[in-house]
Amino acid sequence: MHSKRLGWIFLAPTLVILFFFGVVPFVYVVFVSFHQWNPFAVNPEMVFNGADNFRRIVFDQAFLNSLGVTVLFVVFAVFSQLVLGYLLAQAFMRDFPGKAIFRTIHTLPLIMAPIIVGSVWKLMTTPSIGIIPHYLDEWFGITMNIGTSAVAAFTTIVIMDIWHWTPLVTLTLIAALVSLPPDPFEQAQIDGAGKPQIFWHITLPMIAPAMIATVFIRLMDALRTVDEVWMLTGGGPGSATRFLGVHIFREVFPKTNYGYGSTISVIVLYLTIVACWLLYVTMLAPRNNRRSEED
Amino acid sequence: MSLALKYGASALALSVAATAAYADGHAAWWKEAAAPYQGVTIRGVTESSPPSQYIREVLAPEFEELTGIRVDVETTSWDQMFDKGIKDMEAGTGIYDMVYIEQDIIYSYLARDFLTNLTDFLGENPELRAPTYDEANFTTFADYFKDGDGDLYGVPMEAFLKVYLYRKDLFENAEIQAAFKEKTGRDLVPATTHTEYSEIAQFFTDYGKANDLELWGTTAQAHTGHVASWYEYYESVAPTFGVYNWGIDANNNYAASVANGGAMNGPEAVEAMEWWLSMRDIAPPESPASTWTEVGTTFGAGRAAQGLVYGENAGWIAADETKSLVVGKVGVALPPLADGVKAAAEAGDGYIGYYDGGAFGMPHSSKNKEATALFLQYIGQNEVQPDWAVAAPRVTHTATYDDPKVVAFNEELGGYYDLIKDKGYLFAGAPAYPFHAQVREATAPIFYQILTGDLAPQDGLDQMAAAAEATLTELGYRN
Amino acid sequence: MRKSSPIIGVIFWCLISFLTLFPIYWLFVISVKPAVQLFSTPDLFVTDPFWGNYAKVWGDRLLRSYMLNSVIISTGNAMLCTILGFFACYALSRMNLTGKESIFFWTITNRMAPPAVFLLPLFLLMTQVYTVGEWKLLDTRIGMILVYCTFNLPFAIWTLRPTVDAIPRELDEAAYVDGASTWKVITEVVFPLCRPGLAVTLILTWVFAWNEYLLAATLTNFEARTLTTGLSEYVTTTGTEWGIMATISVFTLIPALIVFGLVQRHIVAGLTCGAVKG
Repeated sequence: MHSKRLGWIFLAPTLVILFFFGVVPFVYVVFVSFHQWNPFAVNPEMVFNGADNFRRIVFDQAFLNSLGVTVLFVVFAVFSQLVLGYLLAQAFMRDFPGKAIFRTIHTLPLIMAPIIVGSVWKLMTTPSIGIIPHYLDEWFGITMNIGTSAVAAFTTIVIMDIWHWTPLVTLTLIAALVSLPPDPFEQAQIDGAGKPQIFWHITLPMIAPAMIATVFIRLMDALRTVDEVWMLTGGGPGSATRFLGVHIFREVFPKTNYGYGSTISVIVLYLTIVACWLLYVTMLAPRNNRRSEED
Repeated sequence: MSLALKYGASALALSVAATAAYADGHAAWWKEAAAPYQGVTIRGVTESSPPSQYIREVLAPEFEELTGIRVDVETTSWDQMFDKGIKDMEAGTGIYDMVYIEQDIIYSYLARDFLTNLTDFLGENPELRAPTYDEANFTTFADYFKDGDGDLYGVPMEAFLKVYLYRKDLFENAEIQAAFKEKTGRDLVPATTHTEYSEIAQFFTDYGKANDLELWGTTAQAHTGHVASWYEYYESVAPTFGVYNWGIDANNNYAASVANGGAMNGPEAVEAMEWWLSMRDIAPPESPASTWTEVGTTFGAGRAAQGLVYGENAGWIAADETKSLVVGKVGVALPPLADGVKAAAEAGDGYIGYYDGGAFGMPHSSKNKEATALFLQYIGQNEVQPDWAVAAPRVTHTATYDDPKVVAFNEELGGYYDLIKDKGYLFAGAPAYPFHAQVREATAPIFYQILTGDLAPQDGLDQMAAAAEATLTELGYRN
Repeated sequence: MRKSSPIIGVIFWCLISFLTLFPIYWLFVISVKPAVQLFSTPDLFVTDPFWGNYAKVWGDRLLRSYMLNSVIISTGNAMLCTILGFFACYALSRMNLTGKESIFFWTITNRMAPPAVFLLPLFLLMTQVYTVGEWKLLDTRIGMILVYCTFNLPFAIWTLRPTVDAIPRELDEAAYVDGASTWKVITEVVFPLCRPGLAVTLILTWVFAWNEYLLAATLTNFEARTLTTGLSEYVTTTGTEWGIMATISVFTLIPALIVFGLVQRHIVAGLTCGAVKG
């Protein structure tokens, strides 16, 4: 079939680039993960140590703690972004004065680099002199100190992430919503369906692929978050916001623990893939397959 | 406007002055020595601190004009700087001809043999040896960049002390003095012991509260997620209680715990921790989120009456009106000490605080060693030092102290240069550990838990000592 | 579309916009405050703006070259990823390729990798393997454009796939019946209908590339340094120059706003496309 060959030609550049910049480094990381390697050890060379690193990780309290707070962060942040993002996208489907301006404003957080976001929020939340703790104290008598309160630091990061990334969800969902054909909705209204019914039985199934794709992106990006947290709390207080991205960064950058750091990364990557794969096969793949079978 | 730290606008003026003074001297030698390397570009990486900025903005262009050798300096953040240098030297790529070596990482680099022996290199290439460069010109700080044979591996370019800063205007205020005397029965003078320091700190925190001022009695670099807090404790607090070199005994199989012969979790370490935490509790509320950056700004904003502040910051706090509200109101003194620590430091058995700084070294992987050696000597001359010391307060050469410009600036800084000159020997750099960052990172998470109160000082220090020993064993230093 | 009172809509959006804009407003406030005022009681409004930081940043030759690098790298990368992603999605959506769902899923795994640990192999590859004679990929714009594909290409493929899938095959088939070539079907039928999706993908890939920090910090030195790495120069042991950082950040918003302005129109255009389709 001629279109098969053409299909591979279309895919080829993508596969080639991802091979050289994704797969090759990955193979290297997997290789290193079976070694003890710290360039500042007495023996600075790579030493093969079998599955020792993998055995160690299972009992590594610091890693497990980091995994825990990361999962908590991802769940809170991504779920809120999805709900808020969807509601805002729906709101943008209506007509109201100044819509274009509001939509532009709403996308502004996206154009700020994570390290800038982290810096601004750090200055806004500096205990006692940042604007937020200052006015919380002055107006409501609430003390907020992200240096001492784990809850305050964690919540600040979740809110910061929601602020930063909800527009991404809104934007992709707008793109999905505007391409929906109007017929099913008209038909449903004629049939007398209520709003919740329309949402559950028509809108949701139709935008599910876009929604899941967005959740995927947010999920894996949240799992990799480094820059903002690095600037804002550095992982503190204690290890309350030491997310996996920060944990791995500390392990391989300042500590130069390349061997074990690689192991953590491989495990994290593996867990991410498994989680996403489960989500994918249960929700998205059946749909895609059905489509393919229609050919 | 004071003499101040204007490497920006006044840099050009300074450079013109410097070159002019210089031209009649040895310009011919530089031109001749550099002739074979015309058009070469040498590249360096450094943290973007004021002294490095001065190299990039003033010394490098000056050198290029004189010799035709171009110098590109990549300035980056503190975290990135190490990583980039290490990756380059580890892989032998040769991206950099010069790397910034902070004093605490030199032992790691020497252990891995990353750096060129500058003494040998210049000995083997006499035609490159500048008449105005001499290793003997450096202050004793240069000793940190020498190996066992006394050969130099880095040209010092900055050196600071972490000093005790206090607010002269408050300490000399008659009303405050009287109130203090009434309350404590002592005169209000800079503290020499920890008890005195606590008393003053408590007094000013209460004073601030009573008078509704944004004023507290001490600073604390006590960030609960950044290594700055770890450093404050190990560099500046523990030594004043007699716990040196992080409490790890290098001569005793790198023991950290008391049980094995170390001092990391000993009674002095616990006492130091408890004292420091009690100071943190009466410091400004931002302290648990303060790194060296915020401590400097806290003091510069006039929010603290006294504190331990890095010398890098002492300069702008005391003299730069665009950044500091306490210009002209700053005094410097030696940190408060426990009994016997000063005597130990004078005898060379201990130290009272941190002597901090950095140098430029030349990696083995450099591809332009000759041209780089010329530039390193250029920035290592006595002649370029005074302007540099005024633009970015650091002194690396003995002769610099006596320069009229520096003497005048010393006044503005409340005698900070005198302190380095006269008392510098009491301070020390980081311990000679090739595993500096590794042990720090292994113990820091536990340290933060002590700060957040999740661990009691004794328990936390016990765990830290255990973690340090485990890491040292893993790395192969401890058997 | 459904109707509701426009006033409530506007009030609602004003509130949302206030929350959205506040941190950006605060960024601006920091940029026009002299350093000496930063660590005192915060005022909500700036009464006496200080423009010194702007003069400093505007006059900085290095920052201008960083800005140019950032624009070239993110634009190049966004275009590359959007185009390659579109063709990949077309193949995945329309052609019956063996294992295509696995390939589709595999592409996204490239974005999942925690970046820190991949820096070392990328550094080694770009200095020692992906080289031509003396020339190496490290510290080049083209190198960064390719490296950024590891996270942006999967993103493009995943956001474009639903868009391409949603275009009814009947339209392709109708064009084939009319005698159009595959190329013509793609460029004249599918591509125009995908415009909203393509616009969103282009914007977002551009933004991801523009904002990236860690990879750029490690893999560039002199020639290809980007604005985000320029920002990190102001975080030092002698203190962080918040004012300058904020000023640079304000400058970085300008090109981003222009790109948004240029591309957003196509999202609106998508509205009419959808209507026509129905």
